[in-house]
Amino acid sequence: MKPEEIRDKLTASLGAAEYTPGPGDAAITVPVDRWHEAATVLRRDPDLDFDFLRSLSGVDRPAVGKIEVVCHLLSYRHRHTIVLKTGIDRSAPAVPTLSDVWPAANWHERELYDLFGVNVTSHPDLRRLLLPEDWVGHPLRKDYKEPDSYRGIPMQRPQTAAEAVTPPAAPEKP
Amino acid sequence: MDPYIERSPDGAVAIGTLDSLLNLARKNSEWYLLFATACCGIELMQTGGPRTDADRFGFVFRPTPRQADTIILAGTITYKMASRVRLLYEQMAEPRYVISMGSCANTGGPFYDSYPVVKGGDLILPVDVYVAGCPPRPEALIEALMLVQDKMAREPWLRKARGRWPDPKDPWPQPSAVLGSCAAAAKGPTPKG
Amino acid sequence: MQLLAERIATWLGMEGLPRQAVVAGVVLVVALVVATVVLTIAGILTWAERRVAGRTQSRVGPNRVGPLGFLQWVADGIKLITKEDVIPAAADRTLFRLAPYPVIVGIFAAFASVPFGQKLIAADLNVGVLYLMAITSLVVVGVLMAGWASNNKWALLGGVRSAAQIVSYEVPSVLAALSVVLLAGTLSLQGIIGKQGGWPWEWYLFYNPFTFVAFFLFFTSAVAEGNRTPFDLPEAESELVAGYNVEYSGMRFAGFFLGEFANVYLLSAIATALFFGGWQIPGVTPDMQAASPVWQAVGVGLFALKAGTGAFVVLWLRWTMPRLRVDQLMGLCYRYLLPLSFAMLLGNAAYVWLVPQWAAWVVQGATTTVGLAVAGVFVRRVFYHIRHVGDDVSLDLARGESGTFDPQLQVRVYGAFRRRHAGDSAS
Ligand code: SF4
Repeated sequence: MKPEEIRDKLTASLGAAEYTPGPGDAAITVPVDRWHEAATVLRRDPDLDFDFLRSLSGVDRPAVGKIEVVCHLLSYRHRHTIVLKTGIDRSAPAVPTLSDVWPAANWHERELYDLFGVNVTSHPDLRRLLLPEDWVGHPLRKDYKEPDSYRGIPMQRPQTAAEAVTPPAAPEKP
Repeated sequence: MDPYIERSPDGAVAIGTLDSLLNLARKNSEWYLLFATACCGIELMQTGGPRTDADRFGFVFRPTPRQADTIILAGTITYKMASRVRLLYEQMAEPRYVISMGSCANTGGPFYDSYPVVKGGDLILPVDVYVAGCPPRPEALIEALMLVQDKMAREPWLRKARGRWPDPKDPWPQPSAVLGSCAAAAKGPTPKG
Repeated sequence: MQLLAERIATWLGMEGLPRQAVVAGVVLVVALVVATVVLTIAGILTWAERRVAGRTQSRVGPNRVGPLGFLQWVADGIKLITKEDVIPAAADRTLFRLAPYPVIVGIFAAFASVPFGQKLIAADLNVGVLYLMAITSLVVVGVLMAGWASNNKWALLGGVRSAAQIVSYEVPSVLAALSVVLLAGTLSLQGIIGKQGGWPWEWYLFYNPFTFVAFFLFFTSAVAEGNRTPFDLPEAESELVAGYNVEYSGMRFAGFFLGEFANVYLLSAIATALFFGGWQIPGVTPDMQAASPVWQAVGVGLFALKAGTGAFVVLWLRWTMPRLRVDQLMGLCYRYLLPLSFAMLLGNAAYVWLVPQWAAWVVQGATTTVGLAVAGVFVRRVFYHIRHVGDDVSLDLARGESGTFDPQLQVRVYGAFRRRHAGDSAS
């Protein structure tokens, strides 16, 4: 199916959807309140049948005050692809989960939460995926400030011998 | 076999042949931990392979830290992994040695500007030998293991075991995390091509 | 034993001492001698294993300590003594410290009744086979203790696996050994060796087809009992970091390690005694051997050679075979080895009962011929490959960097491989 046809099918059941034809993958942008619905249509409609979530990622755009959530979809059955996007408010980012549509979205959304701080509502297990649990901040945000140290490990290499740290001695064994 | 000669702060000289015998045995049976965190691990595996056969020198891998003498930091260490690396080190039985293999483990290497990477294994463990390269060739790693052998051969093991060493007045010269052991790293062969 | 003790006491001019004291002293000395011998054997086997591994993987193996790296095991031993003895904080300290001892005791005590030579045996028990099988079971206790006391999930899994495996494989190995006991009519290992002869056709291995199969059953299950690859699931480092000894360091680990290698020699020694004629020398009767110390020494050497070959095969297997899965392991034991060993036992019983002597000679001759022919073909194939492929393992066979390159030969050895690659380059 052509991207335009996919767009038409989606707008038929959803109403308005912004469409960007691409030199690469064509993208459909939906408002965040239709996000889950759009995903369900793309997954369940027998003519669309996007059965493979290739990637779910985010893009931080401070200039427009938004975080974009981007889904790359593929249908093995019909051999067509599409990109599904939505923009969410950067100050309080929240997006409904897609993990009930594509189970693979579970970890992708955990990563989204981990690196962008997007609150994925009704996600079954929203924890950090890649970074340690006690990490401060979400590093893929453009305004992320690297802390000086994590658990006592400096984040910059000491530049002179005077600044050099000695690793902590091993605790005494009983 | 060179006898071990040690000069105490007040100038006396001690010669220990038992120590050198023990050290001869210790240095010829240096078991390393089968542990790698990134791509340098491939070269670590290769070091045990046919071309640079580490077993010739008595270097065999042990899967468990309890039985290993040397931990080789082979690869990028992330902050999440750092505590695990530290745990593995603490599980090893004394005496234990640390080799930092590759740019990542030395300084953070190509990932220096990246937020999750520890900028050098020596920030979390007391490194004995640094190996330069990305990745270092197996020959370089063998040389690093042999430098650890040299260190073993110079150590007064018996006095250490009896708790008389290091002398509280003259503690073990802790190499500064950055500049120390640079000589050791510089001695390592430069990887070619 | 007591007689020997008294003789030694008389010889030393110590008749006056209480008899028990002398006996105890002699037993202690004998035990020390046996322990030393076993430790040395186990140590040498660790070196041999690494050399064999090197050879198998076209490496060199240890070659820095002593000639051909022969003293590697001494270095390893001293290194392990100098290491710290770590006891995990959460471990059961008493059990943890105790655990290596049942393993060592079980294996070392078994060596007391191994017939190294006609006169060279610490204790010739009349229930020798039974004793060996029983005392080696002590290993299970130690392994389970180690697994449990370490308070570590890998150790526990390894210990439980090992216990299940040893107990299961004990059954086919005992049944296979029983076949021989049935033929010999005695449980004493010296008695069993005495019933055999020096020439291959006088061995129990070639006595009849049933014993021939029984040997392989015995060997397989003994290897499995010793937790050696392909049955080394308790120590599978890809699944359980190092199995039941994961928390052990220093000398306690060395206990397990030496126990394992002593076990390798033990199983080959038992196989030698049961199936390969032990210390019997071809063409020399036991009486002649008893009369001459020279023949005695030759007998001891021959036993060591046979058992050493067996141990080599076990090491060779280890570096050649991939590891079994745990369900395949139990399946192999209960579905194949156990029924087969029962069948061999019954077959032997029927054989003894039904077959007349003249027919037995014929069967013995036929089995020997077939067995030796199979062994010959096998050895020939092995040497063929060693000679022609050998250490020059080059993935690009056609290039043939070795001086002995012979395209026709390579085609015969790796015909299919070459054809496939020839097709690749053509396309
Ligand atoms: S030094 Fe290079 S090869 Fe080694 S882990 Fe880092 S990036 Fe990989």
